[in-house]
Amino acid sequence: MSLAIRKNFNEEENIWSIELAGEVDIYTAGQLKEAFIKIIEEKKESIRIDAEKLEYIDSTGLGVLIGALKRLRQDNKNIIIFNIKPSIKKLLNITGLDKIFVIEG
Amino acid sequence: MSKISDKINLSIPNKPEYVGVIRLTVTAIANRMGFDIEKIEDIKVAVAEACTNAITHGKNETDNFNVEFSIDEEKLTISVCDNGKGCGINSIKNPDLTLLNEGGLGVFIIKSLMDDVNINSDLGKGTTITMTKFLGDDLQ
Repeated sequence: MSLAIRKNFNEEENIWSIELAGEVDIYTAGQLKEAFIKIIEEKKESIRIDAEKLEYIDSTGLGVLIGALKRLRQDNKNIIIFNIKPSIKKLLNITGLDKIFVIEG
Repeated sequence: MSKISDKINLSIPNKPEYVGVIRLTVTAIANRMGFDIEKIEDIKVAVAEACTNAITHGKNETDNFNVEFSIDEEKLTISVCDNGKGCGINSIKNPDLTLLNEGGLGVFIIKSLMDDVNINSDLGKGTTITMTKFLGDDLQ
C-alpha cells in the first residue's frame, strides 16, 4: 500500500532512470505525480521506468503517466517502461497504453 | 431452488488510504474461493477502480461508502455503493483511447476485467457499481 520512487539522471544516455517499488493507486498517485513534475522541471528528457518492483497500478497511476507523457511529447521525449509484471502488462494492453508508452522486455 | 450466497459487508470511510485495505480483503476472499492468480489480479483492479470512483465522487471525507461481497459456488459479486453526487447513466461514455485523457478509464477497465458489470446511478443520489467474476473451471 505504499510507493517508493528512486530516480537518477543518466548523463551518458541523457535520460531519466526511475525505479518504482510498491503500489500506485488513489493514495500514492499524487506522490508519483509530484515526482514527475519535479524531474520534468529539472530536465525535460525521456524517462525510463524500471517496473520490476511495481506490484500494482490502476487508472489513477496510468493517468499520472499519461499526464507526464503529454508534457514530454511536447519536446519529442518519451516514457519507456520495462520489467513489467504480467498483470500490469495486461492492463496496459486493455487500455491501449502499450502502444502509447514504449514497452521493453 | 436457488442458493443463498454468503454476504460480507464493509462500510469504508471516503479516504484513499483504505482502498489498499479493500484490495487485500477481496484478495483474501477470492483466494479462499479458489480463483486463479490472473482472475484475482483482475478483481483487485476492478474493485479498486470502483472504490476510487466512490471516493472521488463521494460527498465528503467523513462519509462512508459501502462494499458488499456476495459469495457463491460459481461466482463472486462485488457491489460498491456511494452516496455521492451521482451521474446520469448516459454520461458514462466509452473513452476514446486515442485522446489520452488522464481520467475516465476506471469504468472502462472494470468492464474489461469483470464478466458482468452493472452501473446504477441517479443524479444527487449516488452510484452503485455491481461487478461479477465467474470462477469458471477451465476444462482442458
